Amino acid sequence: MIIKIFGPGCPKCQTLEENARKAVQELNLNGVEIEKISEIEKIVEAGIMAAPAIMIDGTLKAVGRVPDVREIKSWLK
Amino acid sequence: MAKEISIFIFLVGLFLLFYFMPTESALFSGAILSGLELLNEYARQHVLTCLLPAFFIAGAISVFVKKDFILRYLSGQTKKYISYSLASVSGSILAVCSCTILPLFASIRKRGAGLGPAATFLFSGPAINIAAIFLTMSVLGLKIGLARIISAIFLSILVGLSMQLIFKEKPEDGKLFMEEHKEVVIGKKVLAIFFIAMVGILIVNGLQIDKMIKFGLIMLLALVVVGIAVFKFRQEAAKEWLKETWNFTKMLLPILFIGVFVAGFVMPFLPQELIERIVGSNSVFGNLVASIFGAFMYFSTLTEIPILQALIAKGMAPGPALALLLAGPSLSLPNMLVIRKVLGNGKTAVYILLVIFYSTVAGLIFGKLF
Repeated sequence: MIIKIFGPGCPKCQTLEENARKAVQELNLNGVEIEKISEIEKIVEAGIMAAPAIMIDGTLKAVGRVPDVREIKSWLK
Repeated sequence: MAKEISIFIFLVGLFLLFYFMPTESALFSGAILSGLELLNEYARQHVLTCLLPAFFIAGAISVFVKKDFILRYLSGQTKKYISYSLASVSGSILAVCSCTILPLFASIRKRGAGLGPAATFLFSGPAINIAAIFLTMSVLGLKIGLARIISAIFLSILVGLSMQLIFKEKPEDGKLFMEEHKEVVIGKKVLAIFFIAMVGILIVNGLQIDKMIKFGLIMLLALVVVGIAVFKFRQEAAKEWLKETWNFTKMLLPILFIGVFVAGFVMPFLPQELIERIVGSNSVFGNLVASIFGAFMYFSTLTEIPILQALIAKGMAPGPALALLLAGPSLSLPNMLVIRKVLGNGKTAVYILLVIFYSTVAGLIFGKLF
């Protein structure tokens, strides 16, 4: 499983990344890769308008907001 | 390891600062006192009555105003006048921090309404945020506050149109992804009353009326807001609103306090004569200098206000003050470097020149009128 976090590095993007890491940890998932994408061009390429955004295995789950740990966990199950 | 080293350097710096601090100098203690006095003024006059309501409004906007609706109009085949006018006001609705603005700017330009509306958005985004506008009115006065919002909207459209005229760039095709927001089931009327009551608090606070009447009115409006939040919103929406409000407060208030102290601290050192000579009158030169200074200098959100307050106290004229307020928040040296990565050298240079030029003109006009 690959989790991609899109964001140019603002506090909100960092919170999102932390939340994703916590969610993975709490579910004890192995083999989950968390990738952070901070280049603007790549963010635009993915068609994302508002940062931060989270993509799990190719599907965008949230754009322009910070989902909490519980919400991310529900996507990972 | 790198982190430990930077902490070490920071501590050494702090130590040297404290070691060599000229505590016995009267100028130094005067500056510290001036910083604290300005902080005191903000805490007493502006935080509770102006900033706090503004943060609540900003929080409510980010929860209840549908972003995907606005973005849809900034992408694709929308009529030009709609996309420009929407881009010019959407800054107040969509973004407060520059990290949201840049991806939005890049995607509006590449896959949406094109370079023009994107440039409009880039300028208006940081320039019209609600907290900044109301704090400007509260600290610097109603006239310059209104002038700030009106000219920011107007200027952003001019900058966008000029960019489009000069470069005639066309957007690529391609899909944009915007999340459909969770449906907030609250009647439009209730929501309208909710927003009107909150803005009402800010307006009543600015009125020159009897203190008791003012206090009563503000309490009444606050009760309306709380009542709606408690009885009309679902718990989830109310919680989300408080969370967003807290986010804004957390992000902006500490930096503002630091900015206020710094502005107060440097005030005694500002050379009054020099300021009066350069920006003390509404000359072309004065407005130009203020615009250029604003364009390159970095102001964190809201901190432009106490700094400008210090400059005005030392003799800056209203025209140059407005010019600085316009060019200041939208552009800064670090910001230019990031824009350059997206736009390239030529377009960035033209964008900067346009912002400086229009800000100067706006300052001149404002200075002539008042």
